[in-house]
Amino acid sequence: MMNDPGALALAAWLLPALSFLVLSVVFPFRRLGPPAAWFSILCAGGAFAAAVMAWRIQAESVVPVHLVWPWLPSQGKTLADVGVLADGVSTIMVCLVSLVALLVQIYSLGYLHDETRPALGRYYTYQSLFAFSMIGLALSPNFLQLFICWELVGLCSYLLIGFWYQRPAAARAAVKAFWITKAGDVGLLIGIVMLWRQSGTFDLTQIHEMAAAGALPLAGLSIITFCIYLGAMGKSAQFPFHVWLPDAMEGPTPVSALIHAATMVTAGVYLLVRTDWLFALTPNVLLIVAWIGAFTALLAAVLACVQDDIKRVLAYSTVSQLGYMMTAIGAGVATAGFFHLLTHGLFKALLFLGAGSVIHASGSNDLPRMGGLARRMPQTAIVFIVGTLSLAGIPLFGGFLSKEEILGAVWAGGLPGPFAILMLVAFLTAFYMFRVVFLAFFGAPAHEAPHAHEPPATMLLPLWILALMTMVVGGYTTFNGGGAEAASPAWLTPSAVGAATAGILLAWLTYQRRAIDAASLAGMFGPIRRAALAKFWIDDLFETVYGVILLGFSRGIGWIDRYLVDGVLNVMSAWTLSAGDHLRRIQTGRAQDYVYGVGVGILMLVILMRLVFT
Amino acid sequence: MGLQPYVILSAVVFCIGLFGVTTRRNMIGILLGIELMMNAVNINLVAFARFTGSAAGFIFTVFIISITVTEAAVGLAIVILLFRVRRTVMADHLDLLKG
Amino acid sequence: MTTEPVAFWGLSIVLVGSALAVVLSKNLFHAVLWLALALTGTAGVFLLLDAEFLAAVQLLLYAGGIITIVVFAIVVTERLVGERLTQTNMRIGGGTAVAAVLLAFIVTIVGKRPLAMARPEMAGDLTRTIGQALLTRFVLPFELLAILMLAGLLGAIHFARPED
Repeated sequence: MMNDPGALALAAWLLPALSFLVLSVVFPFRRLGPPAAWFSILCAGGAFAAAVMAWRIQAESVVPVHLVWPWLPSQGKTLADVGVLADGVSTIMVCLVSLVALLVQIYSLGYLHDETRPALGRYYTYQSLFAFSMIGLALSPNFLQLFICWELVGLCSYLLIGFWYQRPAAARAAVKAFWITKAGDVGLLIGIVMLWRQSGTFDLTQIHEMAAAGALPLAGLSIITFCIYLGAMGKSAQFPFHVWLPDAMEGPTPVSALIHAATMVTAGVYLLVRTDWLFALTPNVLLIVAWIGAFTALLAAVLACVQDDIKRVLAYSTVSQLGYMMTAIGAGVATAGFFHLLTHGLFKALLFLGAGSVIHASGSNDLPRMGGLARRMPQTAIVFIVGTLSLAGIPLFGGFLSKEEILGAVWAGGLPGPFAILMLVAFLTAFYMFRVVFLAFFGAPAHEAPHAHEPPATMLLPLWILALMTMVVGGYTTFNGGGAEAASPAWLTPSAVGAATAGILLAWLTYQRRAIDAASLAGMFGPIRRAALAKFWIDDLFETVYGVILLGFSRGIGWIDRYLVDGVLNVMSAWTLSAGDHLRRIQTGRAQDYVYGVGVGILMLVILMRLVFT
Repeated sequence: MGLQPYVILSAVVFCIGLFGVTTRRNMIGILLGIELMMNAVNINLVAFARFTGSAAGFIFTVFIISITVTEAAVGLAIVILLFRVRRTVMADHLDLLKG
Repeated sequence: MTTEPVAFWGLSIVLVGSALAVVLSKNLFHAVLWLALALTGTAGVFLLLDAEFLAAVQLLLYAGGIITIVVFAIVVTERLVGERLTQTNMRIGGGTAVAAVLLAFIVTIVGKRPLAMARPEMAGDLTRTIGQALLTRFVLPFELLAILMLAGLLGAIHFARPED
């Protein structure tokens, strides 16, 4: 078993399942709190170890391992299997997921130490379920298991965003996330079923072979890929389905780091990477993907510039980077998008966890209320700046090469429009991230923050691990990078780095040196800024659609049900009652009337006889 | 003259009696109507007995007359009793079984 | 016999007229008296049909007995007179319709087949015939009739008993 990537991947998948089952069923154990947490962490650690081993062994053998069991029988053969497909992409994804899950679970012990024991147990139950679902999604060999794990991941997102369910804002945000991703999931389901109709199977490998052999009919394939893209739009927060992600920040910060930075939101990107051979057959859909991705990146970057809540800035930044990944996929180079997914997972999780310790220390999310934290929390400051430099794409740091590859792929794919947008977004990204850095860590402390101290070891350890990994990846790729990917023009790298540096410079001048007044800078972009503060009214649009159309429609249906459907029954019963009332008058109680009745009956009979038997 | 005129006569008196039964409000009036109907039946029976030569019709008439007398006595006793209890002889006032 | 139609029509007019007066009279006592006349007319019809015994029984029991007890009942109860017909009769229209239709029906049925035209010879005296039949062939109904009359007598006495 130790040599089989398939069995190791299976172990990585099932260990969190074991944790979930134990914690959910054995509730006295769960209610103990910290012991349940350590059990979950143990299983997550085991999963990570198995994932790394599977990755290394798989990378050497290169042959994908298919380990499945028949699951749904249908007309003599099986409709779908359940199991794992361990190839290069899936094993490395499982490594990322299990690593971030493990680190976040360790971090949560310190972050949530104020929670009651049963609540803590509940948190780790959800975390285990999430790890199980996400790893299952990454390893799934067919579309059916992928969809099931997709929905489970959405469920975990709902449960974890609404972890503090007594807060109405959190409950609303959880429902909103569920609704919006569900809209995309409908598309995904339709796409999967239509694909099954065309190909006769759910299995990814079989459909891949059919597509490579040209056995897949091209007619209607665009609709299928677009429907699948709809699912990815919902999960990966592409415009206009991005509105749930900023609100999802109502959940605990470790949850944001895990789900809304590194893993769940990347599920959409992962899906497109997994099926890029299918999308390659429909270039027009890929064009849509690229343009929507670029637009999303720009929109989110603009919105991030006006946020005062540190987690919101990071949330919009995640949306923006997801747009980057989608644009790369749209340009046809899914590997570039996937590479950025991996590096982004590392440094975005790092940034969120760092923001968590900042929030923990200063007691609030508001940027204007922070300041000068670098003196009080030097370690946090260092790791946060490492993450920010990675996000900005500075050489030697994690995000540098992945960003370059995306830009190169978009340029080589012949998409100058998205390319220009992405360059602008690179500038903006550096600007708003360093705005956060300067406002939070440098300058005079805005308010006295009495509890501003370094977080405990359980929180610092994951931060340092992630920072070190980012540096290692950055250093390795800076010197060994490029190579087999499309040869990008020589001016690409310097201009990208230059854009990022310009952004950093602008932020430094505005927020650190106060050489440029922030208010007048904001005033230059007056109308855009106002629109950005209103989130470009997209949320209001959704609310109107929901309130007016959906609720109006349901009110109409309700009216029909009450007055027409029930009305028919009520009318019938009323008529029966009134008929009874009228017929009752025959029973007068007087014998003479009954004799008269007999006479009238004879009269009727006589007339009838005369008419019928004339 | 034949049988037919007697039968028609009997039918006429019978229908007049029926009219009285269904129409009269006073209970004694109803009884009078019943008497008329009985009479008509008797005429019918005697006529048929005479014209078919069977004596059974006559015997039957004797019986009917006797029974009618009994029935009138009992009926009037009931009317008197009802008047004593309900202080009315109007048939349309007796509607306790109204439903 | 040519007198028969004359007698028949005369008796019919008396009978039908007094019957109508019985059911349409506003004064109840007048109605009773008209009933007496109708019963007498019926006795006449019996005579016309050669049933002397029955005519006598009719006069004795009906015109004598029943009228008497009806008069007694009227005396005991009230509500003798009404000013308008609707106070003594109701449903006049419906009643007329029912009676008329029934009459028309019977007349048409009777008219469909010819009925006997001639009277057969009567074998002997009717009174003797009735008497013999009552005590030989119809003795059982005769006795039962007696029991019935006893029951009726007891019932009538019970009903008309004064309250204790």
